[in-house]
Amino acid sequence: MRFRAKIVDLACLNHFSRVINTIAKLAKTCTLRLTVGKLYFILSDKVANGGVTMWCELCQGNFFDEFQMEGVAAEHNEIYLELVPDNLSRALKTAQSAKAVKIKLTNKHCPCLRVAVELPSLSSSSRIVTHDIPVGIIPRKLWNDFREPSVPDFDVIEANLSGEMNLKIETDLVSVTTHFKDLGNPVWASEDGYQSSAQDRDLESMAEARIDIKKLQQLLAGQQVNPTKALCNIVSKRIVHFILLHEDVSLQYYIPALA
Amino acid sequence: IARISDEFWFDPVEKGLALRSVNSSRSAYACVFFSSMFFQHYCWAAVSQPCQKEKQFSLPCKLIIKSVLPVFRCVNVLERNVEKCSIYTNINDHHITFQLLCKHGVVKTYNLMFQDCDPLQAVFAKHLCPNILKVHSRLLAEIMIHFPTSQEEVTLSVTPMKVCFKSYTEEDTDFSKTMLTEIQLNPEEFDYFQVGVDSEVTFCLKELRGLLAFSEATSVPVSIHFDVSGKPIAFSIEDMVLEANFILATLSDVEKERASQQAPESSKTRTGKSDKTSVDRENSGAVASKKPQWNSNTAPAKPASPLAKREIKDIPRAVKREVTGTEETAVTEAEERAALGEAAGAQYQKFHSLFFGAVSCQKDAPSHSFHSLATASDTEEDFGNAQSSPVL
Repeated sequence: MRFRAKIVDLACLNHFSRVINTIAKLAKTCTLRLTVGKLYFILSDKVANGGVTMWCELCQGNFFDEFQMEGVAAEHNEIYLELVPDNLSRALKTAQSAKAVKIKLTNKHCPCLRVAVELPSLSSSSRIVTHDIPVGIIPRKLWNDFREPSVPDFDVIEANLSGEMNLKIETDLVSVTTHFKDLGNPVWASEDGYQSSAQDRDLESMAEARIDIKKLQQLLAGQQVNPTKALCNIVSKRIVHFILLHEDVSLQYYIPALA
Repeated sequence: IARISDEFWFDPVEKGLALRSVNSSRSAYACVFFSSMFFQHYCWAAVSQPCQKEKQFSLPCKLIIKSVLPVFRCVNVLERNVEKCSIYTNINDHHITFQLLCKHGVVKTYNLMFQDCDPLQAVFAKHLCPNILKVHSRLLAEIMIHFPTSQEEVTLSVTPMKVCFKSYTEEDTDFSKTMLTEIQLNPEEFDYFQVGVDSEVTFCLKELRGLLAFSEATSVPVSIHFDVSGKPIAFSIEDMVLEANFILATLSDVEKERASQQAPESSKTRTGKSDKTSVDRENSGAVASKKPQWNSNTAPAKPASPLAKREIKDIPRAVKREVTGTEETAVTEAEERAALGEAAGAQYQKFHSLFFGAVSCQKDAPSHSFHSLATASDTEEDFGNAQSSPVL
């Protein structure tokens, strides 16, 4: 198992840092899946997370100048690591003016992601700051736990198919409703190319789901990358699915509905 | 100074005002000296105490930092509103008055009670350190920023070819849970670089951050004087009108080795920086825990008694030496006052432990002062204090 990557471009580095910062705000620990072409940050729905699921996909080519990976075996050319994204965020925080950032999987005292930041200095040789971030190697037999969550057969996009959405908060004393109009209702092509049965549904009827506002807040407050597109799907009373799309990053976040 | 302790010594002397502080485990000492020229008007008079035969040249008193900080809070506001600040002491009433004369005729007066106390002064010969680095405060701040604020201890490792600051780790560090950071620098980055002996010293970063913030404000270069592990490390800044010294104890390698040979201690607390953990360790009966002990011997090592005796004679001279602001900060010790016949309370023992070895222990208090004056015998049970023998 080997992994080495290098970022030289400052803009790419900043972008990558922002993505990591977003992930760090959403999950204390998460899984990093490395494949030849992509990086995935995954949080699978366990009781500890409050049932929340997160799936974030990045195209490595858009960030790294060099990216070499050798998985556990030839036919399973992937690496699954468990890490604390906040550590990675901290390591990159002070790399704002770096000449280069190298990330390597090492195993000195224990498996680590070694982030080496080369900083400009007044002298002829650069200043090198190394951060060893401990990681856990996830064995192959557990890889199935981390599959991309299948998008459930949702009813309609937040409220109804006529592009109206209501965000409602209710307490004992007060109830606040925000009405959104003229939202798009994109047609969702399901995996086997079959168009969803959206046309059969009543355009006006509302689908609703009640979710923990703290989780929604965590998702929205943590955003550091402005998405070009944001989608929200609801399975009535079951789950809310947010998709935030950017050119080279996609972030999916599932929040289960409260009983 | 607030990062070191809750209280500080307010010590006006003829040539200026010294503010000093020492932490509870006596492993960090700070002294900021403002020469009389720093002030617009400086007036100091020797006062002879009725109970003493000889004139006392200094009026040391202790103040609680928390009481004084609010006076000087909000530097921006101060700069805009305050025209003058007067500080004067009233010995009879036991209080110090800080008076801020502000715009529009507003006068804010703060009267703070002080505690009588014995002088606190560090004994550390900076000029005898083989390793000296001088660096701009900005660079030091840029280095320390890479360590998380929760990072307690940092190791500085030097050879003539390179300088490295890294997170401190010990044998039983759980590497799978801790993120380690290391910064490598070229000697060229330092304004002055002298490495007489390869060394690796570990000190407490938290306590240093106070000096870092202060030095950034004054933008004066920071000098670092140190020796091998176990000997203290001094961070100092100096300009025309002020001089600040932060002297920190460093972890001793010798004790680390010996400690690992001892029976493992049940308590897994960190090395005793605070009184609490040190007392816990001592109370559980073991001589030394598995954890290495903090040691702050001054350099160089010399037999205790002849030197201690010499110290006594040096009192008046030493005071003047410090006042003239030379690089040498070797000054008298509180123990001299003990020798002069003043009441030896537990207080004296505390002063000693910074310079005489391991973390102070209340249990050992009665015998402690004598121990440091005598040539220590390196017995097992005195392990903790044995390191105190090479005194000054």
